[in-house]
Amino acid sequence: MSNPTFILTHSVLEGEELCVCKLYSLIKHETMRKRLLLFAVLLLFGVWSFSQNSRKITGQVKDESGPVSFATITETNTSNSVTADANGNFTITISGNQITVTAVDHTAQTITVSGSVANITMVRGGQLQEVVVTALGQTRAKAKVGYASSTFNSETINRTAPVSPLDALQGKIAGADISHIGGPGASTKVVLRGYGVIAGGTNQPLYVVDGVPLSDARFGASDNTDFGNSAGDINPADIETITVLKGTAASSLYGSSAKNGAIMITTKRGRAGKLKVEYNGSANFSKVGKLPDFQKTFGQGWSGTFILSENGSWGPKFDGQERLWGSVVDNSQLLKPYSFIDDNIRDFYNTGTEYNNTIALSGGSETTSFYFSYGNVTSNGVIPSNSDNLQRNSFALRTNSKFNKFTINSSFNYINRKMNAPYTGQGASDGSSTFENILQIPVDIKISDFLDYKNKFFNVDNYFTPYAENPYYPLFENRNQQNSDRFFGNLDANYKFTNELSAQLRVGGDFTNARTFAYKAVNAPSPGSWNAGNNPESAPRAPDVGSVTEINNYLGVINGDFILKYNKNLNSDLTLEALAGYNYNQQSQKGVSASITNLVIPGFYNLSNSSVKPTATDATILRRLMGVYAQAVLGYKNQLYLTLNARNDWSSTLPIDNNNFFYPGANLSWIASQTFDLTRTAISLLKFRAAYGKTGSDAPPYNVYPILTIGNVNLPFGSITFPFNNVSAFGIANTLGNQHLQPVITTEAELGTEIRFWKNRLGFDVAVYDKRTDGQIFTVPISPSTGYTGLVENLGLVSNKGIEVSADGKPVVTKDFNWSITYTFSKNWNKVENLTGGPDKVILSSVYDVEMDAFPGKTVTGIYAPIPQFTPDGKIIVNPATGIPLADPTKSYYGDAAYDYMMGMVNTFTYKNWGLNFSLDYRKGGVMYSGTADLLLFTGNSYVTTYNDRRPFIIPNSVVQTGVDGSGHATYAENTTPIDELHYDSYWYPTSNLAQSYPDRIIDRSFLKLRDVSLFYNFPKKWASKISATNLNLAVYGRNFLLWTPQSNIYIDPEASNLGNDLTSQLGEFRTAPVSVTFGVQLRATF
Amino acid sequence: MLLLTTACKKALDINQDPNNPSLDQGNPRLVFPAAAMATAGMEGGDIAILGGIWGEYVTQSALANQYKFIDAYDVKSTDLNAQYSGLFTGGLKNFQFVIEKARDAQDWNFYLMGEVMRAYTAGLLVDLYDKIPYSEALGGTSNLNPHFENGDEIYADLIAGIDSAMTKDFTASSNSAPGTSDIIFNGDMDKWKRFANTMELKLYLRMVNVNPTEAGAGIQKLYTNGAEFLETDAGIFGFTDAPGQDNPLYEQNIRQLNTPNNLRASTTFVSWLQANNDPRIVSYFGTNAPNSIHQGDYLGTDPAYQSAAVFVELPTDPVIFISAAESYFLQAEARERYFSGDQAQALYNQGVLAAFASVSQDGSSFINGAYKYPTAGTLEEKIQAIATQKWASFPYGVHFIEGFFEKQRTGYPLTSPVYSTDPSYVPGEFVVSKNSVLPPGALPRRLAYPDVEVSRNANTPELLPITTPVWWAKP
Repeated sequence: MSNPTFILTHSVLEGEELCVCKLYSLIKHETMRKRLLLFAVLLLFGVWSFSQNSRKITGQVKDESGPVSFATITETNTSNSVTADANGNFTITISGNQITVTAVDHTAQTITVSGSVANITMVRGGQLQEVVVTALGQTRAKAKVGYASSTFNSETINRTAPVSPLDALQGKIAGADISHIGGPGASTKVVLRGYGVIAGGTNQPLYVVDGVPLSDARFGASDNTDFGNSAGDINPADIETITVLKGTAASSLYGSSAKNGAIMITTKRGRAGKLKVEYNGSANFSKVGKLPDFQKTFGQGWSGTFILSENGSWGPKFDGQERLWGSVVDNSQLLKPYSFIDDNIRDFYNTGTEYNNTIALSGGSETTSFYFSYGNVTSNGVIPSNSDNLQRNSFALRTNSKFNKFTINSSFNYINRKMNAPYTGQGASDGSSTFENILQIPVDIKISDFLDYKNKFFNVDNYFTPYAENPYYPLFENRNQQNSDRFFGNLDANYKFTNELSAQLRVGGDFTNARTFAYKAVNAPSPGSWNAGNNPESAPRAPDVGSVTEINNYLGVINGDFILKYNKNLNSDLTLEALAGYNYNQQSQKGVSASITNLVIPGFYNLSNSSVKPTATDATILRRLMGVYAQAVLGYKNQLYLTLNARNDWSSTLPIDNNNFFYPGANLSWIASQTFDLTRTAISLLKFRAAYGKTGSDAPPYNVYPILTIGNVNLPFGSITFPFNNVSAFGIANTLGNQHLQPVITTEAELGTEIRFWKNRLGFDVAVYDKRTDGQIFTVPISPSTGYTGLVENLGLVSNKGIEVSADGKPVVTKDFNWSITYTFSKNWNKVENLTGGPDKVILSSVYDVEMDAFPGKTVTGIYAPIPQFTPDGKIIVNPATGIPLADPTKSYYGDAAYDYMMGMVNTFTYKNWGLNFSLDYRKGGVMYSGTADLLLFTGNSYVTTYNDRRPFIIPNSVVQTGVDGSGHATYAENTTPIDELHYDSYWYPTSNLAQSYPDRIIDRSFLKLRDVSLFYNFPKKWASKISATNLNLAVYGRNFLLWTPQSNIYIDPEASNLGNDLTSQLGEFRTAPVSVTFGVQLRATF
Repeated sequence: MLLLTTACKKALDINQDPNNPSLDQGNPRLVFPAAAMATAGMEGGDIAILGGIWGEYVTQSALANQYKFIDAYDVKSTDLNAQYSGLFTGGLKNFQFVIEKARDAQDWNFYLMGEVMRAYTAGLLVDLYDKIPYSEALGGTSNLNPHFENGDEIYADLIAGIDSAMTKDFTASSNSAPGTSDIIFNGDMDKWKRFANTMELKLYLRMVNVNPTEAGAGIQKLYTNGAEFLETDAGIFGFTDAPGQDNPLYEQNIRQLNTPNNLRASTTFVSWLQANNDPRIVSYFGTNAPNSIHQGDYLGTDPAYQSAAVFVELPTDPVIFISAAESYFLQAEARERYFSGDQAQALYNQGVLAAFASVSQDGSSFINGAYKYPTAGTLEEKIQAIATQKWASFPYGVHFIEGFFEKQRTGYPLTSPVYSTDPSYVPGEFVVSKNSVLPPGALPRRLAYPDVEVSRNANTPELLPITTPVWWAKP
């Protein structure tokens, strides 16, 4: 039911059931209506007479801050409705005596009209009457649902003009871990209630737009590039509400894909009335966020010696003297003081700009309405050049039509996106990575000077070091680009057979074609040049062989539902809302990629330009799922609601003879404040919830039958590929399929309560949950001596238990000044309950020697890395030759990569036409690996590398092994070998000090962010009207500025990551692009 | 209703992977090259780096970091897992498929090829790790925890496998011509038979320290049956200068690594080459007078280290399984041990000449000069001469690991009592790495079982220190 008009109407009916005149609302049955209506009226209002004749009513809709524009006034229980004008004035002709008024962000109201004038005062927000979008896009009164949900309106979502809708909700939902992990267009990570899936699927929620699931693919993503997740494509300005269903119980009717919860997006629709034009425009300016802290004492060199060609700061102490530096070119060399440069990395970055404009037209008649919008985003991030750039054009057209008992709604959306993503992570033989290059510049060399990367001292031949490249070179010479076209939409037809029975057919589609084009320039230092080896260390730089990659991805999702709905009042106490449906879902994917390396003609980027054969791959995926489902909601006296639901799915990805699975769910909602008379207490609402849900999830495709794979031999770096000398080869796949594969079952139990005081001035919502994800489909690593390295199996039970608290209050409510606060807290306990039949542990993500491992009995996000060998009495055992600790062969636990808990707080102040809003996002605890730290410790740029002023030191409390005593125990003597000055640097790097390198690289993940601040001003109507606007609003805001991190994190914004937006990213980051801080101004106008 | 069910079933029967062929589409011709390349890729990749450093041909550059752990003998279970996996899953599993399918089809050509390469690949694992899973291995889900077996039993079975393959009817009409899918000999079955015999000879000689009787009997039998041995190199040639088509060591260590100059000349090897004025020094290190680094002294600050010669690797270098020179040296040793030295000198000389020739050098002046066979010497002196020349030949075709193995078996080159910086150091003698993490004086003798096996196979034996010799090694 994606028709907003219908939703609103529906909400009125449902909301009303909980109003004072509740008897009335029970009556949807036409024949009983008049009789009971009379009864109700008699009961509640005493003797009353009314006319059945038509009469004209005029009035105005207002709320506490003035007229409410464009409210919908409907004659209750009819389709007769009008829209109020911008000043809230309306005229309606009715034959009954009740009208229902609905407006965005307001509690719906039904009033009985006695005369010909009806002035209505609405209340903002609304609790009991609040409507939530539940599974399958069905709207229900929040009161009736027995699970937690959070709903956000357009105003909240667009307050700071985000490009991706979920970015606006960071830190605002209890139990949701939302982080934007990179620059413009990069992915947003959304994890609801912890990580449950450790393999064979994702932990991402299901995104649903107007009842139809939306794909959330990350085309062309790798540790080196992030072109974003496609759920971020939706223009936030087109969104009416977002409802977040965190639990399985809430989303289980969606089946498989909603096991991690669902994000239900309802888009804006046109309303009957005159043509409405909305403009929403913003301009943002961004600066680079947190950057590493450098040591300021030592300059270029290695092992304490000043060496012109070194890429680190292990040289002598600064003396401030003028020194020659860099390469010798044409017998000349550059001169600069040997001293620390402040803000060196910061000066490398530019000011980013982002323009985000949307214009929307909407309107319609009583039978047909439309909404059309065009949105444009033009964004260029803080990295110099166009390498972090996003251009997005989005069009939306939505229509709602009504013809007697038949309604048909449509939604068509087209998004064109063009993005350049910076190349993050580790460079390769085809070219380098800017971020690695920046970190390898000694702290006395001005980075921004290298902008002139063709200058004879800074070019390919003569850049000062052969160990890295000019950071500007890849930015200007290389490119990672993706152009995509996406169409998604749906047709939604409803037919109302009777007031009780209706049918809905909804067909949605989501089709994306993404074309990724990446290239890297070929270059080699000229023979005899500095970087060809003519430098003090005779170290040549390997040429960048260059590359061109073309990837073409297609993803098409077709989703159809046929739903029969039946609503009936069984008797005066009992109501029934039931539905049954059939779902068909097909996903088809095609990915073709071709690439070349070893470019021949510099600057020519085409697959033909290579001295070697191109490599080409293709991958086709087709999967289907069919499901039948049913749900019944029983309501008792408007205070107790029991929902029962069940679904059975048939999936193509499971073994054909055992491909179906069944899962039920139930939830209960009890409005205790309806049961007991609490009107004399401070309590205005008391509700208890209980829910149990089960969701089955099918397998990834093609994990059943045995296959051969191409005979390519993977090496630690590179590979040997077939065809080889015109010979083709295939070998038996290293992963064994499983002909007895079962679906993954997620079960969740949830209890919650809502309590509100003093007419909504203060409210609390508390939820506890226990989610268990069992029979995970994953490729269990098996010993290679079995002939295989992996076996696809169902195993492993992961539990997530947690508590979520939301509170909201309005400390000050006056005519002119208002202050409201919302606060959220959540804590999740994650545990691998078992890996029965599987390995002792599962390595989920690893970088160098640090791993994120799932061990039974421990958290799924444990970080493990080497530690020193210790004697039984706790002394560190060192290598007698070097004085450096020996590493223990077993890795140790360094901490949990998940946060201990998360808190968020939003404060909103309004004074007359002014408003100020700010939100804080605090996430405490957890550790992460930083590849940025790793490289800065290697290069001696990191602040911590000045330990002991870089003089020789003996590892405290260390011993050397001297031999073995008679009983076979090792004997030790005190270590007297210092780590000398020459080898001071080797203490800081894992290849020479595996034992003690990781405590500096695994850092605290905690942070506190001032997530957003906005100051807005609503122009008075009389000013707005001067430009014919009915509404004019100006806001200035900032996003993500003020970041606090603990002492151990002197490196990076812990939200930044290039390791994906799911479980693997929890390990940390590997030399990624920074997260920016943004300031902007936004203008919104309605005409 | 039935019709609907059938239609639904059909609509859902779409799970056969369109991106990969099904297992039934496999045959020896398709699978053999994948298996052979897997073995070559592992031997010529990580194992070559290990052999190069532990065989003291090369050492870690003082300007880079990549292989410090190998040079410090700090190779733990967590290191070098990929080559172990690759030999079992890419090599042995696929060779077993080739053997089984060839036996079913009575295609004895592929059958022999499969048996010989299986012996070579399994032998490599036994020589690196000692006990390995063998008869219970490669069974997939039928046995997820295969037991480890003693190396000598595995050797015996490998020899029996080759023996059985050699008795088959190579004229049968069921045989197919391997042609280009034989990426080792291009279908020349005569060479395969020679490879089979040489492989057996090598396996028997490995046993001489522990099972001398069996070794002697086996070798006698080979000669009695008129076995012919390799006179050409067995290995994979045909690498070209292109990514993914080149020598695996070049691909892994040069082309795809950002620091292509990790492997520098070791003083151990360079001092020996220089002491003998051996021209192969140019082939191996690019210059007559290369700067070298004392083994494992990667933290050293000698300015000459910065310009220490990088080991010369070419993308077109072959990966050698058994070289012609090695074949001659094996035969020379066999002749010396079991036939009173009959023809041993001639075979030794052929070995030296072949070793020089393989790197386009002429060794003819050496066989009567610096490398003259000690005809008057004791057996041990002769074995030393043969082993030393073998050691000097293995850089060809990135076959370094064999130098490390043969040092374990024969004890040659000798281990120096002093480090190579000492004036009394004898050129070419093995030294203990400067940054060794092992107890004083100890050298590595094996690899510890990799984590991929230890953590996944409950029957993995207890890990032994890497200083423990393998079953056939000279104590």
